[in-house]
Amino acid sequence: MVKKRKPRIRLNRKPIQRKPTLPRLVNHEDPMVSIIIPAMNERATLAGVLREAGRVHPRSETIVVANGSTDGTAELAKASGARVIRTPEPLGHDVGRRVGAEAARGQVLLFIDADMVIPARELRPYVKAVLAGVDVALNGYSGPADRKEAHPVVLAKHVLNGLLHRSDLRGASLTAVPHAMSRKGMEIIGLDALEVPPLALAKAVRLGLNVQAVHTVPVGKLNPARGRMQNKGKRVDPLTALVAGDHLEAIHWLLRQQGPRGGYGDLGRQRGKVR
Amino acid sequence: MQVCFREWARAERLDHKPIGTILAASLAYRRGYAAAAGLNTPWIPLPLSGSASAIVTASNEEKTLPAVVAELRKLPLQEIIVVLNGCNDGSFTAVDRDPRITRLSFPERLGHDVGRAIGAAAATGDILLFTDGDLSVAAEDLAAFLIAIDQGEDLALNDLSPYLPPFSQQDEVTRCKAFLNLALGRPDLKANSLTAVPNALSRRFLRTVGTAALIVPPKAQALALARGLKAVAPISVDVIRKNRIRTSNSGTGNAVAQMIVGDHIEALGEVMKTEGVRLRFTTLGRSELAKMRNAR
Repeated sequence: MVKKRKPRIRLNRKPIQRKPTLPRLVNHEDPMVSIIIPAMNERATLAGVLREAGRVHPRSETIVVANGSTDGTAELAKASGARVIRTPEPLGHDVGRRVGAEAARGQVLLFIDADMVIPARELRPYVKAVLAGVDVALNGYSGPADRKEAHPVVLAKHVLNGLLHRSDLRGASLTAVPHAMSRKGMEIIGLDALEVPPLALAKAVRLGLNVQAVHTVPVGKLNPARGRMQNKGKRVDPLTALVAGDHLEAIHWLLRQQGPRGGYGDLGRQRGKVR
Repeated sequence: MQVCFREWARAERLDHKPIGTILAASLAYRRGYAAAAGLNTPWIPLPLSGSASAIVTASNEEKTLPAVVAELRKLPLQEIIVVLNGCNDGSFTAVDRDPRITRLSFPERLGHDVGRAIGAAAATGDILLFTDGDLSVAAEDLAAFLIAIDQGEDLALNDLSPYLPPFSQQDEVTRCKAFLNLALGRPDLKANSLTAVPNALSRRFLRTVGTAALIVPPKAQALALARGLKAVAPISVDVIRKNRIRTSNSGTGNAVAQMIVGDHIEALGEVMKTEGVRLRFTTLGRSELAKMRNAR
């Protein structure tokens, strides 16, 4: 008798997986760490970002500033258990962070973006540094500097740090995530200045806060290039002009604080000799 | 020779050609003229339509000054102004007597910037060429600066880009120079600055920013760029390698470097007064920008 071939049934086959239910974030009622995430139409990456945020610290709250979103970003954040602040209009990263900082209740404020998933182990060093006494913990990422001419934004960051007598920070900046700051740092810098990150950094350094580049996450490689304008056939990012202008605002603040030469000497030049 | 060449150049419409072409023609003309006249090393004729003055600052440079002046004398300059300051060597006598040379002598050290401004105030030419008494630059190289200004530029800078290390190894001064040009909408000028010699200015430059502004060279440069004057870096002259190392100008964080950084802050502050704090970087509001960048 010919054995009829049995249809093969894989008995150990895993059951068909439904989409995993979102791991719900637990917002501590008296948080030590506030994780602030501005998000504009970031449904695609937000779940991953929130999952990692939830693993950063046992006593944390996660605040999503859903601005100008039409793709259900806010609903997804809500469903994940994050605190959600909604604004119909887009805010941009900087104003979004300020809005989040205003609502934060923790002693440590960790700022990340919704469009790139950074593992929690890469975020904890920033929180740890602030818990250990650093006021502003920056990402040590400086941007590419191996060519003769740096990108305008990279140049501006290095110049500002140099003018602040903090060349050791190289191109580290509050414009880059991840970064964290203490509540004391936020209060001394002021919420308004947080909207202009280079100004916030200038204030932090000049007003005596402990500012350190504590850990490096190469965000340049993670950041997608987007929203570029064409100018004379070259691709120009409008953000470049915004960031360059922000650095000028920081330098202007420095001028007002320290006089027209920003505290640098004139080496005894006899200016009166020339009419 | 200068007169003949200028007429020939005018006939050939040479003055609208690129600087390299003009210079090649000048040198060829010189060769031919020298061969025909049996001269050894005659001067270099240039098709300039304006008059030119050279300004040399020197403080105890008796060893190098004669060579510097000798190169300048090869050029069709109307006058050579040597600003001697704080000299207690033979610098004064090291400069030849020549009707074209004016010696201004100051007992105290003035520094390069004040010295150059004093020289500029005394100069009468349409083109002002600046160089230092401590390094001799070939007349052929200096000629490029004169031609650039004569062609309608207001500011001709020495292009030091070929001699710079990668960005990560550049000092603060170099970065400040690049940032100032960037902030004034001229990133193409890179880290080239009026702080470095040789450079040349137009009479219009002096009228627009004022002679006294030259005391702080980055400030003069910033004002000129903000007011729409034309600037180029026509040629590269390696002054970094030739410049003698002084205790005060080597390494980062030295007194001169600190002063130059301060000059750049002062320059930015000055242009912010008229152009606004953000200079040309007025862009969309953060909200519109976010909207635009969010559109993938």
